Amino acid sequence: MKNRIKEFRAKYDLTQEDLARKVGVRRETIIYLEQNKYNPSLNLAHDIAKALKTTIDELFDFRD
Amino acid sequence: MKNDKFRLIIMAILTVMVLAVAALYAFEVIGEKETNLGAIIIPVIVVLFMVFFIRKRYKDVKEGMPMEDERSKKVLMQASAASFQFSLYWLLAVSLFEPFFARVLFDVQKLDASQTVGGGIAGMAIFFFIFWLYYDKKGKLI
Repeated sequence: MKNRIKEFRAKYDLTQEDLARKVGVRRETIIYLEQNKYNPSLNLAHDIAKALKTTIDELFDFRD
Repeated sequence: MKNDKFRLIIMAILTVMVLAVAALYAFEVIGEKETNLGAIIIPVIVVLFMVFFIRKRYKDVKEGMPMEDERSKKVLMQASAASFQFSLYWLLAVSLFEPFFARVLFDVQKLDASQTVGGGIAGMAIFFFIFWLYYDKKGKLI
């Protein structure tokens, strides 16, 4: 599943570490998410969308 | 966060205890003809894995990150499941090819029960370490 986390993170000038702290995960998880190597749970997707002031639909591409 | 630090300290204490017991056993049996290598190899593998794991987690906790999150829990779960499945085949292989292992590893005709069980557990520990590394770095998590 593709996502636009990196794009939104850059928009709000957040580092991977900042985002990881905001959503309460390890930095590695954010790295794997940005590389599309990990599909998050619905809860985590919601938290990330909230932290990046967007919606899950905007952030994740469910077409794959 | 405080809970994570406490867990890390407990892990470190357990690792030191395993290492101490293995060292005591090694001092006791070194030089004996029928040394149970499994009893030395298993703790060494466990200690190496724990040192690697604790170092990694300590860095995260120091930086204010959680020690565990949903991804690391999934890695642990899938590595455990895969190593369990593989260790069944390994235990079967150990029991079927026991005379071969006895000759090659210990230079004896037959393994005693503790050597067979030790070999089985050592295999499980190695499988777990390999699968954990695989799922943490490359594996597709469900």
